[in-house]
Amino acid sequence: MGELTVWQIAEFLAAPFAASLILTGIHTYLGVHVVERGVIFVDLSLAQIAALGATIAILMPFSDGDPHSRSVYWVSLAFTFIGAAIFSFVRTKHARIPQEAIIGITYAVASAAAILAMSKSTSQAEHLKDMLVGNIIAVSWPDVFKTAGLYGAVGLFHYVYRKPFLAISMNHEHAEATGLNVRLWDFLFYASFGFVVTSSVSIAGVLLVFCYLIVPSVAAMLYAEGIGRRLAIGWTMGTVVSALGVCLSLVLDLPTGATIVCTFGLVLVLMAAARPLIKPRLNR
Amino acid sequence: MQRLIWLAVAAGMALSLQSAHARAGINVITSTEDLASLVREIGGDKVSVEALAKGYQDPHFVEAKPSFVIKLHNADLLVVIGRELEVGWLPPLITQSRNTKIQPGSQAYLDASLTARILDMPTGQITRAMGDVHPLGNPHYWLEPGNGRRIAKAIQDKLTSLSAGDAAYFAQRFTDFDRRLAEGEKRWQATMAPYKGLKIVTYHRSWSNFADVFGLDVVGYVEPKPGIPPSPAHQLALTQEMKRQAIKIILVEPYFDLQTPNKIARDTGARVLVMPPSVGGVKEVQNYLQLFDYDVSLLVSAIKDTGAGR
Repeated sequence: MGELTVWQIAEFLAAPFAASLILTGIHTYLGVHVVERGVIFVDLSLAQIAALGATIAILMPFSDGDPHSRSVYWVSLAFTFIGAAIFSFVRTKHARIPQEAIIGITYAVASAAAILAMSKSTSQAEHLKDMLVGNIIAVSWPDVFKTAGLYGAVGLFHYVYRKPFLAISMNHEHAEATGLNVRLWDFLFYASFGFVVTSSVSIAGVLLVFCYLIVPSVAAMLYAEGIGRRLAIGWTMGTVVSALGVCLSLVLDLPTGATIVCTFGLVLVLMAAARPLIKPRLNR
Repeated sequence: MQRLIWLAVAAGMALSLQSAHARAGINVITSTEDLASLVREIGGDKVSVEALAKGYQDPHFVEAKPSFVIKLHNADLLVVIGRELEVGWLPPLITQSRNTKIQPGSQAYLDASLTARILDMPTGQITRAMGDVHPLGNPHYWLEPGNGRRIAKAIQDKLTSLSAGDAAYFAQRFTDFDRRLAEGEKRWQATMAPYKGLKIVTYHRSWSNFADVFGLDVVGYVEPKPGIPPSPAHQLALTQEMKRQAIKIILVEPYFDLQTPNKIARDTGARVLVMPPSVGGVKEVQNYLQLFDYDVSLLVSAIKDTGAGR
């Protein structure tokens, strides 16, 4: 058994780092939408709905109790789309009720329903939650390539139809007034969003996905107004924080996901603190 | 800048790993500290051994750290509890380690449960009516001294196959451990003898082997499924049963929440006894034999205190 060289260690971390870059890419973009729409917790809610779907599927005889079987994936995706339908429908029908309230209720009910489902399982209930929530350090290259392909497709879809998506996110009433089929586009947004979040949670865990979604776009909002600039700042921040977080977790030997999350928090605080010093110069 | 940080980090890790590696011998990684202690008993100074999960952690849920993957990569032998105990966290790390020797089924992968006496094996079709059943049997089998001996034997065989030149050394160490374990068994059995048939309640189905060997009668579980609160009906039935049978002891592992057991203890006048199920669970327990010394004396003093033995 030879010693590990520098490059072998770099090789171990290459897959988690590549995965974190992919997460940065898609989630920073989706995060701009989510923050603009003011539906911050929609990802937690959709992830919980997907987890409920997976839990129910595992309990069904057709999955053989294997959490990684195809049928589990499809059922969980179907649940995500049901969640997307709920969110897009609720928004236009009941304007008086804040959408965030519906999102919170959905989260609570989906979590509780998953607990009920697990209480009916014959076995493995204690591992179920673990198996649905990924750990970024254990991500493999095939996972990375598969995810890159899927997210590339979603990204392309969003790029092609960026006009309606952005119009609705930036100004909902105005978009509706121009005759856009808001409900359809909302459904497409939440469905593609839910699809991405479900896959991300399975490789990186809920906390990390939430951070990748919200923190870069919030950090970018501190410094820029336009979508293009915000994306540039968000992507840069996400990349730097990912690298820093992975390194810190290695040096201090801390759980990787949680280390990246705390690094995000720290960098956001630093960026906010530096804002009064930098912002005036940018605006000049 | 980023690249510089990376290089510095990688270089630092490489240095620390090299120095760790210089200790040499057979480099053994185990999933739990109980297994590490048994490997130490047999391997002596011919092995260096480290456990991934610490004794105070719930071996069902372990937060993976980067060093785990690197340790697995460097391992000459991996010993696991098996029976799906580690299924929630270990398999992807083994894959990620890219160490072909320690992949499940390979030469340097030892599932310690294969030769152990396994309880709670479901027979026939598993149905929901049976409650929480591990399809492969109870994974907490190391809490039985006889299984410690069986695991140690399996470790001896495996180490011998990896380093045939040290066969006599490993055999002698096994004989020595076997003798001390037998003495321990006599001692523990003698201490527990007056309390044969004592009825207790445990938090989870973790103490089946322990109870079986020392003649304790587990009449119920606080939370059949950890993390899922028991239904009110279950709690009520358990409380009534405990009162009816005058059960005074509730055994709980240190990593479980004490809210529900404390509530039941208040309602029934029983005592919640937090008992470490693993080496390293408390600082007094540093090896496999000490685990039973500690647990047996803890249990007996609680029995005396509560008058449960009478």
